[in-house]
Amino acid sequence: MPPDAPPTLHDFFAAWELFADPALAGALAGALLGALGVYVVVRRMVFLSAALAQAAGLGVAGAWFAQIHLGVPAGLATPTLGAGLASALAATLMAGGEAGLKGRRDGWLGGVYLIGAAGTLAIGTRIVQEVQDIETILFGSAVAVSPDDLRALAWTVGLLGLVHLVGLRGFVQVAVDENGARVRGLPVRLLGLLLMGSLALAVSFGTRILGALPVFAFTVLPPLAALRLAPNVGYAVLWATLIGALAGFFGYVAAFLWKLPVGAAQTLTAAVLLALAWLVGKGLEWQHNRSAHKDGHIHGPGCGHVAIRHGDHVDYLDDGQLQHQGGGGREVHQLHGDAGHGHGHGHDHRHGHAHGHDHSHADDHEHGHNHEHGHAGCTVAQGHVHGPGCGHPRIAHGGHHDYLVGGRLHHQHGDHCDDHGPVDVVD
Amino acid sequence: MSTESPATTAAAAPPLVSCRALAVGYGSKPMLPPITLQVRPRELWAVFGPNGSGKSTVLKTVLGLLPPVAGQFECAVSSLGYVPQRSEIDPAIPARVLDMVRAGVERNWSFLNPLWTWKHRAAIDDALGDTHIRALVREPWTHLSEGQKQRVLMAQALAGNPQLLVLDEPTSAMDVHAERSIFALLDDLRRRRDLGVMVVGHNLGVLARFATHALFVDKDQAAIDVGLVRDVVRGSAFVERFGKGVAEHLGASNAT
Repeated sequence: MPPDAPPTLHDFFAAWELFADPALAGALAGALLGALGVYVVVRRMVFLSAALAQAAGLGVAGAWFAQIHLGVPAGLATPTLGAGLASALAATLMAGGEAGLKGRRDGWLGGVYLIGAAGTLAIGTRIVQEVQDIETILFGSAVAVSPDDLRALAWTVGLLGLVHLVGLRGFVQVAVDENGARVRGLPVRLLGLLLMGSLALAVSFGTRILGALPVFAFTVLPPLAALRLAPNVGYAVLWATLIGALAGFFGYVAAFLWKLPVGAAQTLTAAVLLALAWLVGKGLEWQHNRSAHKDGHIHGPGCGHVAIRHGDHVDYLDDGQLQHQGGGGREVHQLHGDAGHGHGHGHDHRHGHAHGHDHSHADDHEHGHNHEHGHAGCTVAQGHVHGPGCGHPRIAHGGHHDYLVGGRLHHQHGDHCDDHGPVDVVD
Repeated sequence: MSTESPATTAAAAPPLVSCRALAVGYGSKPMLPPITLQVRPRELWAVFGPNGSGKSTVLKTVLGLLPPVAGQFECAVSSLGYVPQRSEIDPAIPARVLDMVRAGVERNWSFLNPLWTWKHRAAIDDALGDTHIRALVREPWTHLSEGQKQRVLMAQALAGNPQLLVLDEPTSAMDVHAERSIFALLDDLRRRRDLGVMVVGHNLGVLARFATHALFVDKDQAAIDVGLVRDVVRGSAFVERFGKGVAEHLGASNAT
């Protein structure tokens, strides 16, 4: 490679032995944090992972400070231990003190975040002469990962992955409906503690190896992407594992190719994957709506549209149109001469109706006239004129529109109202 | 399905829930006067009262989420179906109707058994059929109307084959048509499945029409009243709060 030429993908894989450990560490941490992050996002505690990451950062800085200035042996005050202790302490405080937070959970999380960030920066000024730069902790500019760190991370990912795979349905239930899960006897408290413990462990490890910024990013961006794509929370956990791994690995590759800080590159890669997922999700949604429903729901009991018995089935009144929800989508049905009652009428799908009627003809309607003429049926207050927006549901009937009033079809005919017979409105 | 009349079945059946001088509240302080009642199969109990009257506290005690302050509370059901308020479920949650209903068969540590849901597929299908939402199984929760969401949550509770169904404000934010449709379904379910039903609600009109029994609670007046709907709405506690005209109208509308 010429000295000034930008690095290529070929260069990266040519030096794979050098980059394998940090790239794989990125993928492993991304996968684990992405999976756990789904619960963080669904349970609306995104700030928790930010606060834990900052607390872990303070723990790492504290460990170095203890080594350098307090003379604690390096084997005792390890950065990993410092990160673990600090994040575990923060997680326990947040979980245990839930009742005492008096609804100010987000505020307290903000407090933990600020103390973590400010503490790390303050201690950083005292350890700046060391090889480890404080930027590494906060923004993830690490380029090298020791084989020991990678091995420990792999074990952690394996162990927590197993716990969360076995308990997947339980974790999902608690995330979706905590009270419902409690009523059904699920061990909600234990599952909550396991989640919090897993998160503290994953965040402290991740912060120690990658830095606080990418750790926070992995718990938010891959889960958001997965939740956009997946049909349910369980699948979202699997999707987020994959997207997190991709962001961790290719973020490291991107940092190499474009000479970026690793943490920033991993965060931006996760953001790009989120944008892609959002676009794919939008496309899938558009296709779903187009094929099955035009207004985002399918007709059924309680769907909000008036249900009308039509022969041997039930149709729904939607924007003046009688619609039937069939297996392949909606079908437009037509009311025939005798309105909704099922003696001898059929329906045809968008083929018009078989026998139209005219008010002047003696067809099979009950042809009433309005109140002035003394005919039964029209019960609306005198002076009411049926028309768009009159407050009564409009319904296509033969070649015209009627209005549904108290289970009968009213037809505005000049200055009076004709009764076009009953329909069977389903309660 | 039993061929006996509802009244015969209900009177003969042992109670699902028995409260004797039950005091509900937080900590050691009772919120309401002691409650004594028994809920039997096929009875539909309306738990109602003004806002902040203690309805939710009664509900939490029945669900086992809150310990009784004093008195006796016995729940003799092996499976209790809880239908939460729709607002308790994240409106943006990715879940298909089938996922929501499947959740209803989970019990205790069942989530550790990979075959558990498959074993209970018949109960899940029955619940979908009984609530008329089979056509919706693949639909995302986010695409459902309020009425459809309510049916899905009811199907979820029914999938666990409960003997007692407890519903929290099932028809809030619904139009009159959808509300009546939900209560008609509940009325049908309690008869066909021999269910005891307790509904916490606000809308006196529809509650009084469909319920067989009522528990009226009013924390402000330190009053409760328990019994048949027509008696409770004509009782002094209710009349004092809502007036005689409302009481007579509701008493006359009761269809049970």
